[in-house]
Amino acid sequence: MSQGLDRGRLTSGVLRRLRSRGILSWIVPVLVLVVWQVAVQLGWLSTRILPSPWEVLLAGYDKAVKSGEVVHLWIWDVWIGELWIHLGASFGRAAVGFVIGGSVGFFFGLINGAYKLAEDLFDTTLQMVRNVPHLALIPLVILWFGIDEGGKVFLVALGVFFPIYLNTYHGIRAVSPELIEMGRSYGLNDWGLFRQVILPGALPNILVGVRYALGFTWLTLIVAETIAAPSGIGYMAMNAREFLQTDVVVLTILLYALLGKAADVAARLLERRWLRWNNNFLAA
Amino acid sequence: MGTAAKGLEIGLQGVQRRFGERVVLNQLSTRFAAGEFIVVVGRSGCGKSTLLRLLAGLDAAQAGQVEADGRPLGDLIGDVRIMYQDARLLPWKSVVDNVALGLSGKRESVRALALEALSQVGLADRADEWPKNLSGGQQQRVALARALVHRPRLLLLDEPLGALDALTRIEMHRLIERIWREHRFTAVLVTHDVSEAVALADRIVLLEDGQVVLDQVVNIERPRARGDANFARLEGLVLDRLLNTVQAINQRNQLRGRVVAIRPGDVLAEVEMEVTDVSGHSSVVTSTVTVRNLREHSLEVGAEVIAAFKATDVALVSV
Repeated sequence: MSQGLDRGRLTSGVLRRLRSRGILSWIVPVLVLVVWQVAVQLGWLSTRILPSPWEVLLAGYDKAVKSGEVVHLWIWDVWIGELWIHLGASFGRAAVGFVIGGSVGFFFGLINGAYKLAEDLFDTTLQMVRNVPHLALIPLVILWFGIDEGGKVFLVALGVFFPIYLNTYHGIRAVSPELIEMGRSYGLNDWGLFRQVILPGALPNILVGVRYALGFTWLTLIVAETIAAPSGIGYMAMNAREFLQTDVVVLTILLYALLGKAADVAARLLERRWLRWNNNFLAA
Repeated sequence: MGTAAKGLEIGLQGVQRRFGERVVLNQLSTRFAAGEFIVVVGRSGCGKSTLLRLLAGLDAAQAGQVEADGRPLGDLIGDVRIMYQDARLLPWKSVVDNVALGLSGKRESVRALALEALSQVGLADRADEWPKNLSGGQQQRVALARALVHRPRLLLLDEPLGALDALTRIEMHRLIERIWREHRFTAVLVTHDVSEAVALADRIVLLEDGQVVLDQVVNIERPRARGDANFARLEGLVLDRLLNTVQAINQRNQLRGRVVAIRPGDVLAEVEMEVTDVSGHSSVVTSTVTVRNLREHSLEVGAEVIAAFKATDVALVSV
């Protein structure tokens, strides 16, 4: 639901009905697809530049179902489509990197927000490191980790660390000292105070950090996987480029878009679940 | 639980609290009997909130002793609960969970206790709502229930009704009085509203410069009617004592005077005036005005002014 100047003033009855069914927001993407398909079929666009949506769909079907390999999974040997193997590899890197970077960022945000001593010790250093674009470290990371998993996970963790750190830190700082005083005088111990007052108070900010971090996760992966990787969606794209398979390249771009959107939806669901008390998030 | 614990008896002996150079509580000594309803009144900055924070264990005295039932207050701090000027409810907890804050035990028994406290303040039907859906008065009633659920033996009230409208305040007075009579805890209410003090107090303690300058027993039968002659007489007496440094020249409590000093600050400025009362005594009073106000109605040293005294404030009018 967007906040527009014309909010609530959609006059046409047809448009209003379409919006209430969630159809309105899909009209433009569908229109773009149709124009695109028609443009390719009429020969206005060369398939070398841009394959038609239909071809992309076929490429997806091919990668998901037709070509694949037998993978040894724990004790079973299973045949899995190529697409799922690469998707799994990318998703695994994203998840591991996110968990590592997120927990370290959360930890530092927590102690720096709560303790003056920790803030004095770490904050300046972290702020300095923050100003280095983490993708600038790619050459160094390749030297350290080669093209193994470690390097990509490291980069993702680094990209996730700062949004989570900064928002946790500010979230904790923003918790009202009056509420903390009240909690103490009503008999909460340190853990109770943290769980019932400080953490819920900081949560809106922390979740904003999570959404930013998810964005950084995919951005980092795209770059890291196209430069050096033996598997993953980025690897699939680079491989396809060498064989001039434009349809597969476009497919991978669409996959990234879908993954990004899925991550964002997940974050919004968390907000709805955890921030029910906060009106501002109900409409978001 | 269950056994109705009696109120705490509080004794203060030579209590001293300084903030830098400023002495806020100066050799303060007094006793509050068990189950007594004490109302502390005084001008802004007289030390009444500091006294309450000491009793709540949120602040410590630099000298002197604060005792409860003959023991250091710190030993019994679990029996003390405080209600603040704002309700301070946790917005992410439902009303009933706010009331249950700090209770331990089984989920159902904790909820039952909280619901019982909520029904005492007449809000059991709002138990599962978010605090922000409640009015200011209702939020303060939830805060009262949150304090009651711990069965406090000393309940401290730090101007909890200051932000409420007049009607809600009177309703809250009745509620607090009824609950205090049922539970028999010792109550210490800080306020700058003298009629609130007369309505609720067994004893009114007037603080000035960190010392008790008036200790007035209120012997009016409860429930007290505001129109009552005794009520009005006592209210007048306490008000007079509050304003005793200067005597007014007219019914509206106004005095002629001359500005002798202006001390500007970032937001507030202090204006010092020399005023003369009807009997010819001159004294200096200080009024706090916002800098913005001062800019709009410029005052200079030596300007003739009329100082109008309200219950605790001094307002300035240029002449």
